[in-house]
Amino acid sequence: MKDNQPFPTPPRWASRLLKWYCAPHLLEEIQGDLEEEFEYQKKLNGPKKARLDYIFNVLRFMRPFALKRKQNQYPKTVYHMNMSRHYLLLAYRNVLREKAFSIINISGLALGLACCIVIWLWVDSERKTDNFHNYPDKLYNVYYTLHANGLATGGQTIPRGLTISNYKDYKNTFLLADDLKEAIPEIQYASMYTTGYELPWGHPVTFRHGEKLHKLEGSMADEDFFKMFNYPVIAGNKQKALQGKSIAISRKMANMFFNSPGDAIGEILRYENKLDLIIGAVFEDLPKESSLTFEYLISWEAFMAGDVEEAISSWHTFIQLGNVKDRPVVESKIKDFLSKYHEGKEFKIELGLQPFNQMYLYSNFENGKPSGGRIDYLNIFSGVGIFILLIACINFMNLATSRSVKRAKEVGVRKTIGSSRSQLVVQFLGESVMLSFLSLVLALLIVQLYLPVFNATTGKQLLLPVDDLYFWSLLTGLTLLTGLVAGSYPALFLSSLDPVRVLKGAFRFRKSAIFSRKGMVVLQYVVSFLLIISTITVTLQTRFMQNTNLGYDRENLIYIRVEGELIPKYGIFRQRASELSGIAAIDRSSEPPHQMKFAVYAPIKWEGLESESNTTVPFQPTSVGFDFLKLMKLELVEGRGFSRSNPADTSAFMVNEKAVKQMGMKDPIGKWISAWDKKGKIIGVLKDYHTKSLHQPIAPIIVDVKEDLFFGDIVVRTEPGKTKEALEGLEEICREINPDYPFAYKFLDHEFEKIYHTEQMTARLSNIFAGLAIIISCLGLLGLVMFSIEQRRKELSLRKILGATISNILGLLSKDFLILVSISFVVTVPLAGYFMNEWLQKFAYRIELTWWIYAISGLAVVLLTVIIVFIQAFKSALANPVKYLRSE
Amino acid sequence: MERKYLGEFEEIVLLVVAMLEGEAYGVNITHEIIEQTFRKVRLNQVHASLHRLEDKGMVISRMGGATKARGGRRKRIFTITAYGRQALHDIQAIRNKLWQQQPSPITHAIQI
Repeated sequence: MKDNQPFPTPPRWASRLLKWYCAPHLLEEIQGDLEEEFEYQKKLNGPKKARLDYIFNVLRFMRPFALKRKQNQYPKTVYHMNMSRHYLLLAYRNVLREKAFSIINISGLALGLACCIVIWLWVDSERKTDNFHNYPDKLYNVYYTLHANGLATGGQTIPRGLTISNYKDYKNTFLLADDLKEAIPEIQYASMYTTGYELPWGHPVTFRHGEKLHKLEGSMADEDFFKMFNYPVIAGNKQKALQGKSIAISRKMANMFFNSPGDAIGEILRYENKLDLIIGAVFEDLPKESSLTFEYLISWEAFMAGDVEEAISSWHTFIQLGNVKDRPVVESKIKDFLSKYHEGKEFKIELGLQPFNQMYLYSNFENGKPSGGRIDYLNIFSGVGIFILLIACINFMNLATSRSVKRAKEVGVRKTIGSSRSQLVVQFLGESVMLSFLSLVLALLIVQLYLPVFNATTGKQLLLPVDDLYFWSLLTGLTLLTGLVAGSYPALFLSSLDPVRVLKGAFRFRKSAIFSRKGMVVLQYVVSFLLIISTITVTLQTRFMQNTNLGYDRENLIYIRVEGELIPKYGIFRQRASELSGIAAIDRSSEPPHQMKFAVYAPIKWEGLESESNTTVPFQPTSVGFDFLKLMKLELVEGRGFSRSNPADTSAFMVNEKAVKQMGMKDPIGKWISAWDKKGKIIGVLKDYHTKSLHQPIAPIIVDVKEDLFFGDIVVRTEPGKTKEALEGLEEICREINPDYPFAYKFLDHEFEKIYHTEQMTARLSNIFAGLAIIISCLGLLGLVMFSIEQRRKELSLRKILGATISNILGLLSKDFLILVSISFVVTVPLAGYFMNEWLQKFAYRIELTWWIYAISGLAVVLLTVIIVFIQAFKSALANPVKYLRSE
Repeated sequence: MERKYLGEFEEIVLLVVAMLEGEAYGVNITHEIIEQTFRKVRLNQVHASLHRLEDKGMVISRMGGATKARGGRRKRIFTITAYGRQALHDIQAIRNKLWQQQPSPITHAIQI
């Protein structure tokens, strides 16, 4: 403290504090009294004590009587109503006067909002998946973690091999659900669940009732299933729906076979022409929020009895806890539940609980624990949505701020005739909130028009939830916030201006304001660049996957499941079909050739194999017909293919290059392999070809001939342009040979594209969003260029008078913006490189991130910027300088 | 006679206001009380009770002249109202009545 100054004064902060809290009508007398007291104390006790005394006095005055404000004696209402009408009128006039600015401003924000709304709707619908059950926090899926060879792997479904003690003894399979329920009393209900349509063996199942035949996709589940999950039963008994050899069917399925759901109860459906099932219940068609999908449920008991085919040999185990708090207890009990059956083995298996409603979003496993999955895409797109809205907000703010210069004089006049600062703040905030609500209306219109397109791209059924109060309040809140944030800078800045200086015309933006505006432009450009680069990368990768040479010709291929009478009569079918016109080749394969999912860990032996333990390599077995090479147009590296004229070939093998490498064979032709109870010679080596999605590397394949397998697919290559003819012929033969099954086929290239559905969707969506981001950024840029020209009008006119050419002026104006673009480009490149590399890691076969991806995006943005600047600058460069200089 | 509530401190403040006759404002009331009663009195206490007295209608106030010592700020000058005077008199009367009914030794003892 400055004690030794000549005229000691009371501490400034204490005076300010007093001024701040004290009621205005009491302030003067209290200030006066305190100051007088201070002078008195100074004389009596010296300045130091006086100051201390002053501080204490100020603090002591914090009492109700000094804090309480006097009520305003003048009623406010009339005055305010007039003012708000005045404000509204003014806002309206401003919008009209600056048409270009207003359009840019409102439409930019509307686009941003629309984009955000669509993304939010999508994310919300994904998050709602599986949340409709009665006790979402009591339902869990049991997942497994397998520790072997120092690696941890895991999955949501537990492989059957891990739930039985003796691998060979299939009859001894015990039911995890029943056992868990018995051993752990905290588990109230438990049910096994597996579908009948998943790969590798799954397929739509044929049901018959009387003359009616239908193919449908469904699942198998335990008795407890309907008690746990909220799939309402509309006919029949919920408790007994899945007991004995029974089946529960959906309303849709019931209507296919019977007059009404009620009629279905107690009727018999014939499954795959081999098993009769009694209909125990009809349930409501599944809501779209259900991640489990099935048209029917066959009782687990019937499934275990053996005649119902399984699609995949790892099954879900769902449990429901009696009490939410029991989760830790159950988790600790369940962890080593299976270990006791696998003592002394080289692997260790643990079980864990994953909340049922997270199964859909977190389906990937890392180190044996559930980690990301679909949620990653949700997060990415939420981020994109927020960023786009941010860009739009920044634009809005930038434009509002820069436009405010024009209104500085208005503020000056208002202040002089007695407008208070808070009134000005309210006016400007109100104006920007009004504009943002206008944008909201426009945004809702855009969303309404665009949603059908979006639904078509993503296969979702999104609707504007018009009756959802939460949605509206969220939207209103968001818009209000946007308006307030966007209007805050102009409101606070303009209202703080000194009217005298403004009216004299000495108005300048502070350095910091200009700097922050430039910073925002850079941020915008960074986001746009990021989006452009990722769009290019995603699109290229998707195209790459669709156009990669798979090693076989996937055009004109169709496949039909081997079922029913086709199993014994495959030879006749092949014979008759190959005589049809329009069919180029026909053969069979144990799996659809574009996505083979079998892998055997069972021991495979070969000539030259040194130690028996070296069999951890999973080989991919396929069984095909004699003409498979010809059908698929596969290439041979050495040796020969299977030949029908050589019957001994049924005990021969072919392998691919990868398998040769894996086995470490040199000169493989003629060496023997022993696999699945069969020993034979290698007669040929296939050139590597893709049997899975390009996410995974090529697997080692071992091929043999089995034309009498009871499963698999018949693959037919049609002649180009004659597909329809060929299909008609095939259907006729099928109906004749296999009357109990409806004829069903799939196009291979169609199914192939389905594997990349997520990537295609991502590519399409990012195309849209990148386009939007660019449009919004351009709008913002346009506004800024217009503004900067407006401000420099006089300068430009003077330059012209002094002899500047048009190109001088164009260069001058574009320079500023190009610098900003280059800065943001430099910032973006490493960022984009990092993110895109991360994403590409998911693919075993991927494109390289080359320099020209960046170059294209950079060039595109620079070009756009220059075009926008030039169009605007041309107008002012051509204008007559006298027009703008006349007034001064 | 209706009961008028007047706290002990308020009574003193009111007496001082009456005593200072048109010169009564926050600071000098405080100083007067300190000098005459040897109490430790604070400005805020005085202000608070002046406000209460004004609410009760026993004093009225107006803004008075500014002095340099106050940084050019005006004072609020308090004057006692007739009602305030009446209140003081009433209290005085009650006290007197009670005093007169005291047995003499106590009267003496206290008066000494």
